[in-house]
Amino acid sequence: MGSKVKLFFPFSLVMLIGLILPVIVMVIAGFQGMDGGFTLSNYTTIFTQNYYRMAIFNSLWISLIAGIIGLVISILGAWAITRLAERTQNILIILFNLAASFAGIPLAFSLIIVFGNAGIAKALAHALHIGFLGNFSIYSLQGLILAYTFFEVPLGILFLYAPMKEIKKEWFEAAVVLGANRSFFIKTIILPILLPNIIETFIILFANAMGTYETMYALTGNNFISIPIVIGSLIDGSLNANVPLACALATIFAAVMAILVLVGNRIINRKRK
Amino acid sequence: MRAHSVDKWLPRLIIILIAIFLLGPIVATFIYSISTVWVKTILPSGLTFKWYGVLTADPDFIPSTLRSLILAVAVVLITMLVFLPVIFYANVYNPKLKEKLRYLSILPYSIPGIVLVTGLVQLYGSLPVPKLLILILTISAICLPAFYQSLNNAFMGDDFQGMFEQAQLLGDSKLGAFVRVVLPNIRAGLMVGLLLTFTTAFTEYVITNIFLTGQYETLKIYMYRLMNTNGNAASVLTIIFFIFLGIIAFILIKIVSSQKRSVKE
Repeated sequence: MGSKVKLFFPFSLVMLIGLILPVIVMVIAGFQGMDGGFTLSNYTTIFTQNYYRMAIFNSLWISLIAGIIGLVISILGAWAITRLAERTQNILIILFNLAASFAGIPLAFSLIIVFGNAGIAKALAHALHIGFLGNFSIYSLQGLILAYTFFEVPLGILFLYAPMKEIKKEWFEAAVVLGANRSFFIKTIILPILLPNIIETFIILFANAMGTYETMYALTGNNFISIPIVIGSLIDGSLNANVPLACALATIFAAVMAILVLVGNRIINRKRK
Repeated sequence: MRAHSVDKWLPRLIIILIAIFLLGPIVATFIYSISTVWVKTILPSGLTFKWYGVLTADPDFIPSTLRSLILAVAVVLITMLVFLPVIFYANVYNPKLKEKLRYLSILPYSIPGIVLVTGLVQLYGSLPVPKLLILILTISAICLPAFYQSLNNAFMGDDFQGMFEQAQLLGDSKLGAFVRVVLPNIRAGLMVGLLLTFTTAFTEYVITNIFLTGQYETLKIYMYRLMNTNGNAASVLTIIFFIFLGIIAFILIKIVSSQKRSVKE
C-alpha cells in the first residue's frame, strides 16, 4: 500500500492543484455574481447581449471555415505523404510537427511581415496593381482564417497520416482487376474506411481553432470579438474585468467542446466496429 | 502508364506547394531579419546582421530566455518524477487505469489555455500562494496527454512486468529496477515525450502571461513586447526561436529513425 500512495499522491496533487480544482472552481464561479452570491445572470448576459452572442457566432464561424479548409488541404497532404519514400515520410511528419508548434506569436509576426500594412504583399500589390492582394488585410476575418491554416493544415496531416498509411496499394490493384475505376474505388472503398478519421480530424481542427487565443491576440489585440479574446479581456485585470462572467463563458466553452469531442468519439467508435 | 506517372508527380507537387505555403512567411521573416530597411518595397534596401547584435545586446534577451528555460526544466522534472511512474504502473499493472487515462487526449481541446487560466485566476488570483509554482504544476498537467501518448507505444511488446520483478528478485530496489531495467527499454519513447513536454513548456504563452499578469517575462512574452517596439529585433528573435524548434525537430527525427532502424534489424 505504501508504495501505491507514494505513486499516486504526488500525481493527484499536481493534477488537483494545476488542473482539476481550478476547473471546478471556474464552473462554480460561473454561477456567482461579483459579490459571491448565487446567480444565473452571467449566463443570461452571455445569451442575451449582442456582444457575447457575436463572440460565440464569430468563433463558430471562423473555426468552421478554418476547419474545412484545413481538412481539405490536410487530406491531400496526408495522402501525398503516403506516396513518398518511407524515409521522406518520417522526416516530413516531424517537420509538420515543427510547423504546428510555430503557431502563436511567431506565426502572427511572420504573417505581419508578409501581409501587414507595410509588408511585402502590399508592396507587390502596389507595384503590380493586384487589387485583391492590396485590399487583403491580415487583421480581418479572412486574414485570421489564413493564419489559422498555418497550424490547422499540419495538425490535420498529423492526424490523417496514420489512417491513410493503412490503405494498401494492393487494394486498388485488386479493385482494378475486378473492373473498378479510380473514382469508384475512392467512393466505395476508401471513403467509408477513412470517414471516421476524417470526422475525428475535423472535430479536432474545429476545437483547436475554437480555443486559439495566442495567434488571434497577436494579430488583432482585443479588437476581434471571439470567445477566447472576450474571456481574455474579462480576466486580464483591467477596469472592465469580470472574472465570474469569464468563468461562465469558459464553462460553456469547455462543456460544448467536451461533448463535441466525446460524441464524435462515440460515433467514430461505432462506425469502426 | 499515364496513371503511374500521375502517381509519381502529383504527391510531390502537393507536398512542395504545402511546404512553400508553410515556409513562405518564415523565409520572409529571415530576410527581414537581415535587412537594413524593408518597408513597402518588394526587396529590402540592403542586407545587414546588425539586428542580431541589437537583439543579443538587449539586456532583457538572456533573462527572458532563462525564465522560459527554468519553466521548461521544472516541468520536465515533474513529468519525469511524478507522471512517468504512474504511466508505467498503468501500462504494466493496471489496464483499467490505462483505459481512463485514454480520456486525457480530449483535454487540450476541451480545456485550452485560455479556459484553464480563467479557473486559475478565479481560484488563486487573490490568494497569497506561490503563483510561479502553481503555473509549473498547471503546465505539467497540460503536458501530460502528449507525454502519455508518446510513451504508450514504448510499453508495448516487451514484458515489463517480468523484467521489473526479476530485477527486484535479483536484489534491486524498486527504484533501482526501474532506473536500470525499465528506463533503458523505453528510452526512445521517453525522449520524444520529454522533448515535446519541454517544447510545450518553453513556448507556453497565454497561461503564463495572464496568470502572472506579465510579471514573469518569458521568451514568448518578450517576443510579443519586442514585436510592438522593434520589429527588426523581433524578427531576429522569431528566427532564433524557429531554429531552436528546428533543432528539437532534428533530434526527434534522429531518435525516430534510429528506432525504426533497430526495429528492422
